Amino acid sequence: MAEGKSEILQGTLDLMVLKTLEAMGPLHGYGIARRIEQVSEEALQINQGTIYASLVRLLHRSWISAAWGASENNRKAKFYSITKAGRKRLAAEAENWERISGVIGRVLRLAERE
Amino acid sequence: MFGWLKVLGSRIRGWLSMRHVDEDFSEELGAHLEMLTQENIRQGMTPEQAQRTARVKLGGVTQLRETNRELRGLPVIDTILKDIRYAFRTLRKNLGYTAVVVLTLALGIGANSTVFSWINATLLNPLPGVADQTRVVTLMRTSGDRLTPSFSYPDYEDFRDRNQVFSGLIASSIYPMSLTYNDKPERIWGTVVSENYFDAFGVKLQYGRGFLPAEGKVPGGAPVAVISYHLWESSFDRNPAIVGQKIQLNNYSYTIVGVAPREFLGSYTALRSEIWVPMMMHYQLFPIGGNPATRLKQRGDNWLIIQGRLKAGKSSEQAQAELNTLMQQIAEQYPKEHEGRQGIRVYPLWKVPFGATAFLGTVLMSLMAIAGVVLLLACANVANLMLVRGVSRTREMAIRLSLGATRGRLVAQLLTESVMLAILGGGVAVLVTLWTSKSFASLRPPSQLPIWIHIDVDRRVLLISLAVSILTGIVFGLLPALRTSGINPASAVKEESGSASGGPRKFRLSSGLAVAQIALSLLMLVFAGLMIRSFQKAQRFNPGFNANNVLLASYDLLPEGYTDDRGLQFHQQLLAKIEALPGVQAASLSDWVPLGFIFSSSTFVPEGYQPKPHELIEAGIARISPNYFRTMEIPLLEGRDFRVEDTRKTQSVVIINQALADRYWPRQDAVGKRMRIDGDWATVIAIARTSNYTRLNEQPDPFIYQPLYRDYLPSVTLHLRVSRNPAEFALAAQNTIHEMNATLPVFDIIELATRIQVASGIQRIAGSTVGVFGLLALALAAVGIYGVIAYSTKLRTREIGIRMALGANPRDILRLVVGQGIRLTLIGGGIGLAASFLFSRLLSSLLFGVSPSDPFTFAGVTCLLAGAALFACYIPARRAMRVDPIVSLRYE
Repeated sequence: MAEGKSEILQGTLDLMVLKTLEAMGPLHGYGIARRIEQVSEEALQINQGTIYASLVRLLHRSWISAAWGASENNRKAKFYSITKAGRKRLAAEAENWERISGVIGRVLRLAERE
Repeated sequence: MFGWLKVLGSRIRGWLSMRHVDEDFSEELGAHLEMLTQENIRQGMTPEQAQRTARVKLGGVTQLRETNRELRGLPVIDTILKDIRYAFRTLRKNLGYTAVVVLTLALGIGANSTVFSWINATLLNPLPGVADQTRVVTLMRTSGDRLTPSFSYPDYEDFRDRNQVFSGLIASSIYPMSLTYNDKPERIWGTVVSENYFDAFGVKLQYGRGFLPAEGKVPGGAPVAVISYHLWESSFDRNPAIVGQKIQLNNYSYTIVGVAPREFLGSYTALRSEIWVPMMMHYQLFPIGGNPATRLKQRGDNWLIIQGRLKAGKSSEQAQAELNTLMQQIAEQYPKEHEGRQGIRVYPLWKVPFGATAFLGTVLMSLMAIAGVVLLLACANVANLMLVRGVSRTREMAIRLSLGATRGRLVAQLLTESVMLAILGGGVAVLVTLWTSKSFASLRPPSQLPIWIHIDVDRRVLLISLAVSILTGIVFGLLPALRTSGINPASAVKEESGSASGGPRKFRLSSGLAVAQIALSLLMLVFAGLMIRSFQKAQRFNPGFNANNVLLASYDLLPEGYTDDRGLQFHQQLLAKIEALPGVQAASLSDWVPLGFIFSSSTFVPEGYQPKPHELIEAGIARISPNYFRTMEIPLLEGRDFRVEDTRKTQSVVIINQALADRYWPRQDAVGKRMRIDGDWATVIAIARTSNYTRLNEQPDPFIYQPLYRDYLPSVTLHLRVSRNPAEFALAAQNTIHEMNATLPVFDIIELATRIQVASGIQRIAGSTVGVFGLLALALAAVGIYGVIAYSTKLRTREIGIRMALGANPRDILRLVVGQGIRLTLIGGGIGLAASFLFSRLLSSLLFGVSPSDPFTFAGVTCLLAGAALFACYIPARRAMRVDPIVSLRYE
């Protein structure tokens, strides 16, 4: 199924959204998408709409919360902010990520040497 | 850990407010688009360009909304709802097909829910109104080889006081009695009960109270009664101040202390008691023999039914073990009253081997199994209809597959359709059952007993019907669904105009189902045929007496306060008057009518017979007036009839039947022999031919007739043999009795031939129910064969056209089409006959006078089915013969 195939990518995107919200405070969908593009130095060109699937998944788990508010130019927009549970999750995931990427990196380097 | 639960909760919330979620998301996307556009404009694009680029950057809005909906809500439920809507549309478009399927299923499911409603009202609810019936058991006594339900009062007391397994042990016995209220006499059935009766059964009275412990202590000391709700309505006009009123029962005054709740009918399955009186009042109700406490003191007098409520934590096995030990202790203590090896068996209410549960148990279970076969047949029928229809839906399926639907989705869609059809069928079935469940009451045989079965379509029947419907939908839907969805879309679209002959491959499954239908319906027809033949045989059965032209009428002098002498005189004078009526050929009195549910027996000691160890010598017994044998047309093989002079004052005499003579005085002249009975030595004065006493198919049982005038019996049944239609004598008999006592109630006026129909009750219920099932089966099979042949013929139109163009004449075509039907019928018939031979013996307990492999029945129903099959083939064959080759080749 479509969901299963991109599980890692989805997880990565979710993690990036969480991190963005933690760093930037409450943001709307457009803001999150822009921020991820900027931080990745435009290397990660995403279909901005995919951000919303990620937001729904995070909402389901109550890692983020959502509220309507006014945007910079006074337009009605939905703002997302990270919750306490979300921060905890982010910390755990980030550590996990470090570890896994470290392991993968070592394995890859090992493979190169041989 | 409970993450998935959180997600589910969130999804359910989202699903419930989907419209809101949708609008919310659209707005959010709108804001996003606008911000993107603004950004693009800032970077120097024209507004149109900016908008277009923004849309590309965001992705397809419709798709995003769809994904959002799926993520936020419950897509599974959405899919199911969509399937249901779609199924509704499809079914509505094919009303004819839907109607046929729903009707077929309604018949199949209806047969099951009807029989289940009967089981539900009897075996699953043997004593309505009794709390927690699974904890209530009935005691039976094994005495030698015999199993009897009756106990003496002293034995009951010992069980009650010495057991550790029952929280309450109840004794009771049901009798007809005469109720007088406001000077109006009425004949009702009442139960004499131990005082713990209502407490132990957990029955909360509608008004007033049950019996008190003190009312179970002193013989004659508790003139109180509880009346039934039904009696309260019918005879007391629902008088709210009934508690405290006085009534007369058998000429003795009682105070009503309570009214039982509406649903409580008493403690014997399918019998309705109208009144309950404490055991201590037994003598006041039936003042026969000696002093008031006699019956309560005699250990040899077995007249009580014992039921008990198990203590919490005690099983019926524990109860049986403990009571068995107790029974043996009692038997050792009182050996004279407990001849033969004694033991106790404990039965749950629905398994009680006497009374209605014994009668209904086998019948209803067999009917349930047979109804299951009917349902299977209906399933096969509908499956075939669906297969045929599935073929015509090939294009639809192909298109959906090529549009990206998975096979699983198609199967789910098709199953949704079949389950919906089944539930619709189940709905119709329940409506039908509302009516058919009541039909059981009309199968109730005439009886002097207060037989009453309250059958309702309750929640349990509804739930079972629903469950059966859903299961049915899956059973008949799965095969066609798999077949219909398992196509190759590319070839399917092409195939429509393909093969010239319908192709046997395509019809293998369909033909297989038709064969199954024929086999199952032949099985059903054999069952139905056997049952109907049994019923006929039972109706024409010769019970050893002539039941035709005999009228019965009963009366009871007990409540009228006759002395023994005056009562005897009444009987004799009445007989003389009745015999003088024109048209009356013979008249007599008896305390018993054969082939009913009531039967009494007595132990006796035949003179000179050496009993085997633990042998229980017992025979059925009836008290009769002179001329009984002439009235019943039972020949006396030897000896003389009773005379009016055979009373207490003269030598005790008895008449025995041939079976008794053969068993205890084989190869000897039994006339002149003596037997000890009721504490007296009586001389055998005649031998009567053995007849049937309790059942149609009984072994020749020993039977003893005693002279009615020896002891005064106030409650008797008048037997009249008459020259014409007995019904014409009903009024004359009643008038004659009223000439002698104007207010004496005469009851149970009925022809003997009608009355003994009770004996063929099983065959009546089974015959009529299974007969109807058989007709259903025949119709289903005919429709099934017709469906397959008609459809395959339609698909072979082209082939037939070519054949005709090549010179085949209509007769060849007829042979072609009918030949296909005959092949199916032969295979199905063969399987059906084999199955019938195998399974029909399971019915043997319901059959009477017919062997389970009765060749007449087998041949008859086979012909019937073959005829129906031929007719079903002939219709499509005739259509095929009229095929115009030119039109058929252009067709498609």
